[in-house]
Parts: sequence; structure tokens; C-alpha cells
Amino acid sequence: MSQTDTTTQQGIPKEIERFDIIFRIQHIVMFTTFLLLSFTGWGLKFAHEPQGLSSIWIRIWGGAETAGLIHRIAGIGMLLDFISHVFYLVYLFATKKMTINLKTTVIPLPKDVFDVIQNFMYFFGLSKEKARFCKYSYAQKFDYWAVFWGMFIIGFSGYALAFPMQVSYIIPEFTTGWIWELLGIMHSDEALLAIVFILFWHFYNEHLKPDVFPMSWIWITGKISTEQLKHHHPIEYDLLFPQEAQKDKKE
Amino acid sequence: MSYKKSITVFAPLLFLALFLPGTVFAQESANCLTCHSAMKGKLKTSGGALIELNVDTEKFRSSVHGSLSCTDCHIRFSDNPHSSPSASVPHQVLSISTKISSKYGVDPVAAAACNKCHEEIYNKVLGSVHGRNIIDKNQTDGALCLDCHGSPHYITSAEDPLSKISRKNQVETCGRCHGDKKIIEKYNLQENVMNSFQESFHGRKLHLGHMRAPVCASCHNSHDIKSKNDPSSPVFGKNRLQTCGKCHEGANEKFIPAITHRPPGPIPHYAEKALILLTMGVFAFVVLHVLLEAFSDIRDAIFRKGREE
Repeated sequence: MSQTDTTTQQGIPKEIERFDIIFRIQHIVMFTTFLLLSFTGWGLKFAHEPQGLSSIWIRIWGGAETAGLIHRIAGIGMLLDFISHVFYLVYLFATKKMTINLKTTVIPLPKDVFDVIQNFMYFFGLSKEKARFCKYSYAQKFDYWAVFWGMFIIGFSGYALAFPMQVSYIIPEFTTGWIWELLGIMHSDEALLAIVFILFWHFYNEHLKPDVFPMSWIWITGKISTEQLKHHHPIEYDLLFPQEAQKDKKE
Repeated sequence: MSYKKSITVFAPLLFLALFLPGTVFAQESANCLTCHSAMKGKLKTSGGALIELNVDTEKFRSSVHGSLSCTDCHIRFSDNPHSSPSASVPHQVLSISTKISSKYGVDPVAAAACNKCHEEIYNKVLGSVHGRNIIDKNQTDGALCLDCHGSPHYITSAEDPLSKISRKNQVETCGRCHGDKKIIEKYNLQENVMNSFQESFHGRKLHLGHMRAPVCASCHNSHDIKSKNDPSSPVFGKNRLQTCGKCHEGANEKFIPAITHRPPGPIPHYAEKALILLTMGVFAFVVLHVLLEAFSDIRDAIFRKGREE
């Protein structure tokens, strides 16, 4: 991600760009397809819900056939979105528009583990300091890599379940006794994990938390205010505005 | 008489003629139903069997057999108080009735009379694993016509959702025996078939009202059902290529093991355990973190106000 806004003569900019338009579109496609997949898939996973609740729910989505079609289309949409993201990252690295820096990277580092410990100590009152984050907090890294895990486990198993005939030609002979069962279990169980994760982790951190309620607007503006940056990502703030950081320290 | 005039005279007569046989049958059935629609409860025959006496006239009339006369099937009776109708029992029916008399002690002729109209299907059933169980092994709990279709007085079209063999009810109907522990044990049947079907994609989709989801008979056939170990069974070995191929065009040998009634093997079993563990672990961390963070925010708001920035 390019950081085009730099220190001006008047001081520091009010906000800086966090996610460019491509990333924002990828995020919108991701959550739209995620919601469609969750809603339609839930009905199938808990098909035998008492009182026929799932049957009613699936009828709202146009019946089993239509819900299945929505699920497949959204699934393909999500896979394409994921692939486009990977390709975009490759492009950004190839053109040196993005480089790996330990203070701005989304790659998990040992520091993230210490940050978790630090924060838990703070929660329990054992420390007066919250963890100081770089560009991405461990919560955000967790959010980001959860999608990768989900895409590998749920995405590929989902593809195999949606197109079993095509996939049956490429699976090895010795796996046929258990692979189909395994694919179903992977898809269904990890989908539940993904839903639970988004519902608690993502919704709390990006929507319900007092700081951000009703939501963090970065998903649509792509920009974070310098004030928020200083508060939530102090190490990145120091990195971007070293002079300001120096001044603050002297004060 | 002119051509036109003759039409005006004969057409109504021809039209009335359509009702003739119907009226005759209805009258005859009506005689029986005068008593049997009013009678309630069951009667113990001299043979010791309990027979249902009541026939619901309205339900009978709206069934597929509503236009038949009682004596079409109840050709003769083994018990009083009725005097036997004079009609002679067709040879075919008589021969079947002796074969199935172990199952139908009271009126085997009536149970065999289905053969009068449904000869081809009846012969298929007698040759099936269900039929052979009754004929060869003289068992009484094996399935014959009425066990799946219900009382012959009230049989409706298979398309009728109320029918016992409709897409909605068929699985439950088969499950009355194939989900019954005693019968599974007695005949050494595959266990857990009902549960594994309901848990499968097929069963879930069927339950949610998918129009093309299969029911039992879609794969196992109905009247000429065979044991899964019989090489002529549609679910035996490579026959599945064709059976699955009815819906899944191009079904191949690596595709057909996808659906089975067998319990999951060790790999899916332990994979599921591992994934559940992972889910619970993530869930515990996430919920704990969210709750603790929320509580610490509340704590800070109360006790540490002003200390931060």
C-alpha cells in the first residue's frame, strides 16, 4: 500500500490512505459473498432443525434449488475474489509498490504473541500498559489470515463439492473411500468456525467496540485519521512521522 | 329419423350409459359400507388376528381404488358372518394366496387380489428380497403391498404428499423396518441407514424440499428391490455407475463412493474431531478476548477515568 501523503510544511496530514480502491472492492466482494454463503449454507447444515425452521429459512431464499444456485455463484465469486487478491499482491510486490517491512507487514511475528500476552495482562489488571501496535494489530492479522485458512479449507472443499464430477477425475484412487466424507466435514465444520469467528471477532473489533461503533469507516473511505493512527497504531505513527513523535516525547 | 334427430336422442343415452357400471359397483360397495362405515374398532377373528372393521367411505371414495367394488378384492371370506360371494377366485390369485398365507392368515385371497390388476408389479415384488422373505422363509414381518402403500382402501397416488410412498413420506415408510433395531438384527441389515441418509447431502436437500433430491427407491428400486449383496442390485458394485448416472451424468468409479450408508472411516472421523477441537479453541480464545476487552473498557471508564491521555 502506497503511502503518498507525507509530512507537509503545515505539519502532518489529517488522514492517510490505508487501503486502496482495489483492496476496498475486494473486501466488499468478500463480505457480500460471505453473507450469502453463510445464509444459504446455514439452512443446509442445519437442515433437520426442529419445527422445520430451516425449511422456512430456505424457502425465503427461493427454495432448495435456488439457494443452492446462490451458494454456488457466491462461492465462485468469493474464490475469484481471493485469487484476484493474491494476484494483486504479486503485482504490488513485483512492481515494488509494496515491500516487506517488519513494522508494516501483516505477516504474523513473535511480537504479536507478546502483544496478546501484554493485552491479557492489561485486561486482568496486571499491567497498566496496553500493547503498542504496528500497522496491523494481532486482531487484524488474525482477521486477515483467517480468510486464507478459510479459503484453503472451505473454498477448495466447496469447489470439490460443487463440481464433484470434474474433481473426481483428479483425485487419487486410494482417497476415494474417505475423501468425499472428509470434504463435506471440512466444508461444514470450518464454515461454522468462520461464521462464529466473524460474528464475535470481526464484529466486535470493527463494529461493536466503543471506539469504532457502529463501524470502522476504513472499509469505505480507505483512510485512517492521523489521530486514530497515533492512538491505535503508535509504532506505525512513529515510523511515518518521526519528527512529530519526537516532539510528543519531549512534551 | 333424421341424422340430427338421432344424435339428440342417442347422445344423452350414451352419456348415461357411462354411469351404468359405476352405479352398479357403487351400489354394491354401498351395501357393505352401510355397516362398515359405521362400525368402529377391531374384531378378533377365530384365527386370533385383529382386523379393523371401519372403512372411511369418504377416504375410500377419493382413493385410487374408490371406484372398485368390495368384492373385487374380497373375493371370498374365511370367516363368518358373511356368506362367501359366489365369484370364483382366479387361478393366479389363488396360487399367490397360498404362498403368502403365512403373512395373511385372515384373508390371503384379498391380499393376493392386487395381482388381478397389478400382475406385473406383483410378480416383481414376489421375486424381490421382500417377497422371497415371505414366500421362501415364511416370515410375517417382511414387506408386501400394504406394508409400504398402507391400507388398500385409502391408497392415493404416489404424487399425493399424504401417500406413504410420496417423496415426503417414503423415507419414513422404509424406516419403519430399516430403522427398527429388532428387524435390523434379525435380518442382519445395514445399520444406521436412516441416519446416514438424513445426514447426507441427499437427505438434507430432500428435507428442504429439493425437487430432484433422491428418496430410497431412487437408488434401490422399489418393487423389485434386491439385497445390496445381490449382483443384480442397482447399488451392487459397478451397477452404481449406472444408478448414480441417472442424476449425475458421467458418474465414474472415483465418484460413486461419495454416497454410502457406511459409518465414516477413521480419517473423516478423526479429522472431524480435530476440526471441532480447533473450532472450540478459536471460539474460546475469541470469546474470552472479546469479553475481557469489553470488561476492561468498562473498568477503565469507571476507575481510571482521566488517567489515559
